[in-house]
This record gives sequence, C-alpha cells and structure tokens, in this order.
Amino acid sequence: MGEYALLYILFAPFAGALALIFVSNRQPMLVRGIAASAAFVSLVASLYIFYGYDPVQGGFQFVQKFAWSRELGIALYLGVDGIGTPLVLASSILLFAGIFVSWHIKDRTKEFYIWLLILAAATIGVFMSLDLFFLYFFYEMSVIPMYLLLGMWGSHTKKYLEMTDPEGLKQRDSVGFIFNFGSNSKEYAAMKLVLFLSAFAVAALMGILLIYKFSGLNTFDILVLREQAQLMNIPVLGTTLDKIIWVLVFFGFASIAPLWPLHSWSPVGHAAAPAATSMLHAGVLMKLGHFSIIRVAFEILPETTRELMPIAAVLCMFSIIYGGFVAFYAKDTKYVIGYSSSSHMGYVFLGMAALNYISLSGAVIYMFAHAMATGMLFAMAGWVYDQTHTRDIPSLGGLSNKMPFVSGCFIVGCMASIGMPGTVNFVAEIMIVVGSWNKYPLQVIVAMLGIVLTLAYLFKMMRGLFYGPMNQKYSHAHDAVATVDRLPLLMMIAISIGFGIFPMHLYEVVRSGVDPLIARITHVVPVADNSEGLKRVQDDATVTEHPALPMVSHQPITQVSEASRGGQE
Amino acid sequence: MTFVLNLSFSDLLLLLPEIFLTCWLCVVITVDFVSPQLPKDRLAYLSVGGLLATLGCLAWFDVNQVSGTLFGDMFVLDRMAIFFKIFILGATILVILASIEYVDRFTLFRGEYYVLVVMSALGMMFMASANDLLSVFVSLEFSTLGFYILVSYLRDDLASNEAGLKFFILGVFAAGLFAYGISLVYGETGKLVFSDMTSTQATPGLIIGFLLIFAALGFKIGAVPFHSWIPDTYHGAPTPVTAFLSIAPKGAALAILLRIFLVALGTFKPTWIYLLVVVSIVSMTYGNIVAIAQRNIKRLLAYSGIAQIGNVLIGLAAGTKMGNDAILFYLLAYLFANIGAFAVVIAVSQAIGRDEIEDYRGLGRRSPFLAFSMLLFLLSLAGVPPLAGFIGKLYIFIAAIKEGLYTLITVGLINIVISMYYYLIVVKQMYINEPIDPSPISISGPMKAVIYVGLAGTLVIGIYPQPFTDWVVAATLKFANFVAPAATVTPPSLLIGS
Repeated sequence: MGEYALLYILFAPFAGALALIFVSNRQPMLVRGIAASAAFVSLVASLYIFYGYDPVQGGFQFVQKFAWSRELGIALYLGVDGIGTPLVLASSILLFAGIFVSWHIKDRTKEFYIWLLILAAATIGVFMSLDLFFLYFFYEMSVIPMYLLLGMWGSHTKKYLEMTDPEGLKQRDSVGFIFNFGSNSKEYAAMKLVLFLSAFAVAALMGILLIYKFSGLNTFDILVLREQAQLMNIPVLGTTLDKIIWVLVFFGFASIAPLWPLHSWSPVGHAAAPAATSMLHAGVLMKLGHFSIIRVAFEILPETTRELMPIAAVLCMFSIIYGGFVAFYAKDTKYVIGYSSSSHMGYVFLGMAALNYISLSGAVIYMFAHAMATGMLFAMAGWVYDQTHTRDIPSLGGLSNKMPFVSGCFIVGCMASIGMPGTVNFVAEIMIVVGSWNKYPLQVIVAMLGIVLTLAYLFKMMRGLFYGPMNQKYSHAHDAVATVDRLPLLMMIAISIGFGIFPMHLYEVVRSGVDPLIARITHVVPVADNSEGLKRVQDDATVTEHPALPMVSHQPITQVSEASRGGQE
Repeated sequence: MTFVLNLSFSDLLLLLPEIFLTCWLCVVITVDFVSPQLPKDRLAYLSVGGLLATLGCLAWFDVNQVSGTLFGDMFVLDRMAIFFKIFILGATILVILASIEYVDRFTLFRGEYYVLVVMSALGMMFMASANDLLSVFVSLEFSTLGFYILVSYLRDDLASNEAGLKFFILGVFAAGLFAYGISLVYGETGKLVFSDMTSTQATPGLIIGFLLIFAALGFKIGAVPFHSWIPDTYHGAPTPVTAFLSIAPKGAALAILLRIFLVALGTFKPTWIYLLVVVSIVSMTYGNIVAIAQRNIKRLLAYSGIAQIGNVLIGLAAGTKMGNDAILFYLLAYLFANIGAFAVVIAVSQAIGRDEIEDYRGLGRRSPFLAFSMLLFLLSLAGVPPLAGFIGKLYIFIAAIKEGLYTLITVGLINIVISMYYYLIVVKQMYINEPIDPSPISISGPMKAVIYVGLAGTLVIGIYPQPFTDWVVAATLKFANFVAPAATVTPPSLLIGS
C-alpha cells in the first residue's frame, strides 16, 4: 500500500465528499462520522509518508504518474519532496482538527463538510503536484469552496450588523450591494477573496503558459522543465523573458501568501470565515503561495530567483510591521489573528529571500509550525465566538472563569505563535533569523521587532478575552469539555510541542528537500556533497553544516538557536 | 462547374442521416395530425427516438470513418461534419427533453413545436456539411426559418413577439448581407466551393465579400458587433428555445466559419487574424462587463454567451489544427454547461413563474439538487477546475499561446476573473441568501434527466478529458491538410519577444 499513500491522502477527502452527497442531513452523526473518517484516512496516510519519507535518499518519493491528456502534455504526476511532506502533513492535521472544531455546526452540516473536504483535498493536491497544470488546477479549485464556506457559514463583523437592521433584507441583497456598502459583510469578504485570488492566479497561469510555450517541450512536467527548459536570455519588451515569467509567477502566487501590498483580502476573509475554514485558510491555504513560488519559480528559474528574490526581502519587512501594527489596534479577535498570520508570513518570505540552507529550511518549518499555532488560535477564537456570538474584544473579558480549559490552551497557542522555546515555531524562527542574518541584517532586526509586536498584540487580546471583569451577558458561556471539542486543541498543542522538542526528523526531511534546491540556486554546495552530509547527520544525530556556509558553526542546532536567541533579545 | 447528379447508393449513404430525419419528421407530423388526442409528450419522445436513431447512425459513420462529398463538393461528410452533427443532435435531444413541461404554456400548435425544433436541427445538420457558399446560404436560411417561428411561439406574450420580430428583421438583414457577400466573392473568383478558393488573390471585392459573409455568420454566433439581437431575443423567447438558440446555431455557424477561415482563406491568415483578434477581444470584454449589470438570468446567460463566443474566436484566431481542436472541445464543454444551466432556469421558472436573478434566492434550501447543478454549470462556464469549462478554456489558451497571441490570452484571462463575479452573484443568491418562500421545488423526470446529462458531461469532461480530446483531434485530422503552412505565420506585431 505504501506507494499509493499519496493517492489515499488526496482522494480520501474527495471520496468522503462524494459519499456525503448521498447522506441525509437528518443524520448529523453519520455525516460527521463520514467526514471524520475520510480525514482520518488522510491523516494516517500523511503520517505514513512523513515518517516513511527517506531523507537520506531525498528527491521526490511516493511518486505516482498517470497520463491525463496526451495532446496537451499533462499527466497527473504526484510526488512529495522534503518541502511538500510536512505541508501535506499539516494540511491533513488541520483538516482532521477542523472537522472536530466544526462539530456543532447545525445549519446544512452535510454541505459544510463537503466543501471543507474539497477545500482540504485541493490544498493537499497542490502540495503534491509535480505537474504545473495540476498545481494550478488544485490551486484554483481551492478558491471556490472558500466562497461558499465564507458566504454560507461565515459571520458578519460587528460594524456590519450595526449598519443593517435585521429586517433590512432588501438593501442587503440587491445585486449592486457589493459595490455600495457593507464592506464588513461576509458576502463582501467572500467575493473579494475569490476575485482577488483568481485575478492573481490567472497572472500565475499566464506565467505557466509562457513557461510551457518557451520551453517548447510540450509538457507541464516540473521535473522535465527544470532540467531542460531554456528560458534565460530571451529579450522581451526591454527586459528578459525569464524576469517577466518570474514576476508573474511570484506575484501571482504571493497574493495568497499574502505578501504585503497584496494582503488586503486575507484578514477580511479570515474574519468572515467559520472557525474550521479560518484554520485551513490561515494554516495551509496561505502556504500554497510560498509553496507554489518554491515549486515553480525556484525550481524552474533558479538564476532569476537569485537575481529577483531581494524584492521579497524588501516587501516582507512591510508585511511583518504592517501586519503587526494593524493586529495591535484591531478590535476583532479574528482580525487580530488574521493580521498576525499575514505578519508571520513575512518571516517565511524572509527565510525564502535569504536563499540559504538554514533560512529556507527555517521557512519551510515555519510554515508547518505556523499552521499548528494559527490553527489553535482560530479554533479557540471560533469557540469563543460560538459561545458569545461576538468577536468584539472590548465587549468580552473574564472568560477564563467560564472556560478555563480554552483559556489555558489559548496561552499555549500564544506562546507557540510568539515562538517560545519548546514549540516548533521557535526552531523555525531561530533558523530563519540565523540563516538570514548575514544577508539581510535589517530585515532580521525588523523580524525581531515583529516578535515583540506579536507578543504585545497576542497578550493584549488574551487579556481582553479571558481576564479582567466579565460581561454578565456572557455568563452562559461554557468551556470545551467534550472529547470532540478538546481533541483538536490537544492534538495541535501536542504536535507543536512535540516537534519543538524533537525537531530532528522534521528538520532532516525539510533539509533533504531544501538542499538540492538551494544548491541549484546559489551554486554553493554541489548536490553530490549533500547526501553525504545528510548521511553524517543521520549517523551522529547532530547537525553539521556545509563548510561553504560561513556563519553557522558546527554545533547542534539547539545550542545554536539558544545562543543566538539570547544574543538577539 | 458541372453538377453530376447520378447518385449511387453509396452516395445516398452519406445522406442517410438527413434523409432518415426528414422521413421521421413527416412521421411525427402525421402522427400529430392523425391522433390529435395523443398526449404531446409522446410526440416529444417520438422525436427523440428519431434523433437518437440518427445519432446512432452518425456514431456508426464516425467509427467506420465514412466520408465523402456529394453534388459537386457542395455537401461534404468528413469527421468534422460528423462531430458537429452529433453536437447538434445532442443539443436538440436535450432541448426537446427540457421543453416537455414547458410546452404546456403554449396555447396552440404544441405538436408542431417539436416538428419545428427537429426541422431546425435538420437545417443545421446540412450547415455542418455545407462546403460551398450556396449550400451554406440555403441551409442557413432553412434552419433559421424554424427559429423565427420558435422564438415567437408564446403567442400572447408581447416579449416573445418582440423577440421574434427583432430576430426576424435582423436575421433577414444578415441573410441579405450574406447573399451580397456571396455574389461579390463569386464575381471575383468565379468559385463557390471553399476548397477551390485556396489559391485566390486578395482583391478589394473579395475582402468586402468575405467581410459581409463574416458579418452574417457573426450574427449567427452573436459576436460583437453583431450581437444586438441576442439579449432581447434570448429574454423574450420561450426558455427551451433560448437554450436551443444559445447552442446549436453557434455550433453550426462555427463549422462554417472554420471551413471558411481555415480552408478557403487559409493563406490570408496574416490579414484576417486582426479581424478575429479585435472581434474576440471586444466580444469577451463587452459580454462580460455588460453581464454584470443584468438582473434577469436569461439575459445574463445571453451576455455570458457573447463572452464565450469571444473565447471560441481565440481558438479560431490561432488558426491551427490545435486551435480547431480546442474550439470543438470548448463547444462540447459549453454544450453541457449551457444546456444544463438553461434546464435549471426552465425548472425554476416552472415553479416560480419568473426568471429574475432575485428569484433564485435561497434555491440552495428549496432545491439543493437544482442549486448544486446550477453552481457547477455556472462555474464550468466561468472556467473553474475541475469542470469541463476550465479544460476547454485552457485548451484554447494553449493553442493560442503556441501561435504567440499573448494580447488575446491576457484579455481572455482577465475576462475569466470578470465573469467569475457575475456567476458568483447568482451563486450568492442561491446559497447565501435565505429564501422568502421556502417551499421545495419539484422537478419533472425528463428535466432531471437533462440536468443529469449536463452534470455528467461537465464533470466527466473536466476530470477525464482524454477520450474527448482524442475524439476532437481525430475529427479534424483530414481537415488539417487544408490548413496551409503559411497559416502558421503570425504577424510580428502580435508577438512580443520576436
């Protein structure tokens, strides 16, 4: 069964969605059961590939290839490398957790789970596509479920509810409504998200089509294209073709990441979405952007990447700072977490921009870590919203009396989000910081500032929600006591802390994906040296660095991290 | 030109589908006359039976690669003609099934409705085979005749009458243009058969003649600037007729356009490519932008149809075999999505009696099946994976990018995003808004069948397109010989980077 693991991961949610079509909404337990078992199959298979992935061998493993269209040169070509594997795992963890987080959805339960499963399956599909066509196929496919999930099960902001009377149906639903007012409504958020992402996705598609055309290979196969495509030095419109393609692909995919000037859809979307959707959205959907940039731009245009990646290094500073400040002043729980996510995605861009073994590995681990941390925070914000029906921080407070378990978990979530030692976020953050220091010291300082900001806004929100005087209006709120309610939180906390204490396997897997990539881009270490280096890593279970990288000493990773962290703060 | 009119049996075989359908038409009329008490849905099933038999015959032709020409090259049966005939028959069958319930609204001549639909289909089958300007003209008018009547079939409805009148006046005008174009082309070249014209020289008379012909065919497919009849006619016509009008004549007219542009005018590609690029860009952009403002679902689909035709013309502008394949593939995807969407419109208007977009509010609660189908059909029209429309659009873009039509592709891609907005507005009404009247909507059996066929087509083509691409590639195989090598040269100004 081993070699078909990717097919199980990808098609179990689709099969679950298909099975749900034939189930009646009158049997909610059956609906939830089917959804949970589909997600469970996916989760087990993801754990299998995560632990079955051989970092010494590296490269793409569990490869599956089926011809799909001969005329267009498309194949359903699936495979994971060290970068895809942890992201696939993160997606299935969040899907599994998300199904339990949305256990109490009463309205159209079946449809909710169908769209949630399709959303997660499409996301997983991107992480394992080795064919440009299918990468785009799954990418675009993940956008539409978001519209329905936001629109049907989402929530309006407080401002919107103040603007409309409950009977004001006429005004709310006119066709021109979107343009006129109500930029705080869930409909607006959903439409903005879809149009924004589609608009940038077609830019990326244009880039993909240009790669297809100018490679002249009549294929979308990423592995063939990265070896054989000759895209350099073709003059076009006063610049070269590879730059145009790179910019199209980079900004096309960076919109979902979201990089600073392209972020505006994201917090609105997070805020409007139901909890499980926010989790998947912030947890893995945003990583589609980074992942696709790595998969398309880094793999196929390594030279151009080296030349143009400083763009990301500049923009990521704005992401970090802007997101952090807005999160600090936001009064809506989900806005805070949403902006904190878009701020934290700046770290990933920093790690990617530095183009260094440590920093890029850190960026990939950060994607995994952030998925867990933000998943927890959104799950708990969702719980608070379900109990109080408000997301307005000033009107809440003192909820720790009513929900001690959730407030306890919230502290852990905040700690993870900040990058407290002991959580996997710490490992990732420190790797990004250490790896980028030589190349981008200014950005690293900004990133440290961003950590302080994170601390500030998350603690501020925590105080606002759980401590201080309690509004008696919410005295009926109760804690997460049932197993189904506690399971997702405990699972994400366990994973976050577990990998924080034992990051080695995760690190090795990620490095096996990052190494050949960075070697191709920077020409610093030949690929051949690599596997040897990794073997050594395996043997003495310590991390040794390649001699070509000057700034990291030959110390175990934990010591490096603690030393430099102490130095930074 | 000499006509050789000694028809042998093997020649008649080529005409067998048309001959059979003509006889069947007479049978249907006779049955209607002889037993007026017969429930009219029996007539519908009778017509569908005949159409299915014809479809089977054509499928047999396709498998055994029957081909040939008749009447001094006026009538050609190649695999592309067979493809378009199957396309038209498929559309006709689905439309007849979708109209069984709707026909009760007609006060008179319910039996003749089916006869007229089949008669139009017969005319369009001849269009798919027409290989010379005269036979194009005759078959075009033959098929349109049926439509003039069908569009104004709701006798007591002013909108329907207006639609018929508008369609008729503009249609006749287009026919006049067409005839004038033929006379100019014949005057300049002395030839009528497409494949004989390949070596002609471009003279002003010839260019004007072909422009007039293009205008007339552009009227048929509803490309901007020949689209002005479309919204009102689609709006006023009985909805099944609108569905028929939005699919079948476009397919038939595209068969002719492909033959004219790729066979007769293959050598002039550097000239006509500008015409197609401009018409395509304007059609897509106009159709999509105006569709945003629509409040009636039929008008929305009318404008979306204009935009879809702009997309199809990208494939025509590519002017290659692959572009040709892409057009056929796109039409298949469009057939299922569009007929399906209109079937949902008919089902909803049977229940509610109106077809404003507002009336779709809460459809997701009133009839989850209809809403879900409509969602998939609209998303397929918008071009969202994993649905057929996405593969169709991508096929066309790939064909065009191989020819370096970057401007056209950029506009096409931007238009996907614009179109998503108005399709999602309908989705918003169906799913996000709560219904005012939550009573469930019931759907009749034949209507369900049509929607299921549409769903199956939309999903299967989208998820596993290989058999369909194989089919379209095979359909244009012989046809590819006519695509002159010079046709692959693109004017340099359209290329960035060379």
